[in-house]
Amino acid sequence: MSRRDDLFAYLLLEHPRSLRGVQEARDVDPERFDRVADRFLGWAEAARGADYLSACADAMVRFSNDVILAQARYEATGAYEHSSFDHCNDEVYGKREVMDDYLWGVFLTNFCWAHHMEISAFYEDRFLARLPASPAMVEIAPGHGGWGVWAMHTRADASLQGFDISPSSIAIASSVAQAAGVSDRVTYTQRNALDLSAMPEGIADAVICSFLIEHLEQPDDLMAVIGRLLKPGGWAFVTGALTAAQVDHIYEFRRESELVLMAEKHGLRVCETLSVSPKRILPKAKFLPRSMALLCQRTTHGFW
Amino acid sequence: MADTLNRLTEVFHDVFDDDDIVLTRQTTASDIEAWDSLMHVTLMLQVEAAFGVRFSSSDVTGLKDVGQLVDLIDAKAGR
Ligand SMILES: C[S@@+](CC[C@H](N)C(=O)[O-])C[C@H]1O[C@@H](n2cnc3c(N)ncnc32)[C@H](O)[C@@H]1O
Repeated sequence: MSRRDDLFAYLLLEHPRSLRGVQEARDVDPERFDRVADRFLGWAEAARGADYLSACADAMVRFSNDVILAQARYEATGAYEHSSFDHCNDEVYGKREVMDDYLWGVFLTNFCWAHHMEISAFYEDRFLARLPASPAMVEIAPGHGGWGVWAMHTRADASLQGFDISPSSIAIASSVAQAAGVSDRVTYTQRNALDLSAMPEGIADAVICSFLIEHLEQPDDLMAVIGRLLKPGGWAFVTGALTAAQVDHIYEFRRESELVLMAEKHGLRVCETLSVSPKRILPKAKFLPRSMALLCQRTTHGFW
Repeated sequence: MADTLNRLTEVFHDVFDDDDIVLTRQTTASDIEAWDSLMHVTLMLQVEAAFGVRFSSSDVTGLKDVGQLVDLIDAKAGR
């Protein structure tokens, strides 16, 4: 049995309520799901050892349920529960026991949530396919490290520097890179993304910054950092969540154009976008949770 | 306890829009086709409102069957 078959068998037994969503994710693109799932689960096994399947699947189910619960409470109140970055840093990013579980959960959602499977396809087909020769890459808030390690696995000529505020991220992303056999080309450093404005300008051929922007009180400052780090003509893969609650989402984006305008303001040309939502949402929902991906290029002229 | 199960049955009828659902302590998600993770949270919020209790996210994720839900409600409501 493949690892993805093991995952389905485990969910059927232990988490039957969560099975349907993962089946929907596979239906999006079965060939890609099988390839991505087997690869990610293989890295998880090498990084975590024999109990990887139950540990990661349980974490994914917990994380997904937390997200649905946060969304239901947001539906009732009309606002995200928290608005302070320091609160999230203290209660989530900085707490090993909370954050380790959270990050392994998120790691699996890249292919276990149907709409995030679509983002994975966008990442692979639109972003990875465009990387130049020997790309020097920066990943801001790698979390579990899956996105960047995927790039390193695909492109043996690439190198990557990752920066995350959470000690859990540094440990887990490093273990995933090691598992994938790419650790000689990556470094992970614990650092606040907004402090990267102190780095030299134009050092990156490509930047990955996935699902960080909605975690910040001043998202605009992050877009400025991305624009600044990129070389002219360099590519950025940026994702963000809109009207989608989570324990540590503090900036509520409501419209896709907000992200586009923010990117444009900081010297990026938005070449392609994808905005996706879950196949099923809460009954009578007022808010449609969306995940948006942007493929941006650092401008070389006035407007392009 | 029997009381809780009866009221819970009404909540299930309402949330799943199906008056034919018969609950026992052994009922699980496999017995009710529409009981996925999304409906589970919807159900739990309705249960919160009906019984005047509040669930944590680990309460929501941990439940395996209706019996455990009944016990949790009774414990939270101090019954
Ligand atoms: C939802 S996770 C995203 C992980 C991964 N990039 C992905 O797309 O799945 C958010 C990550 O942002 C990190 N983070 C939050 N605030 C940060 C900040 N100010 N600077 C750097 N990293 C931050 C957290 O530690 C966490 O790893």
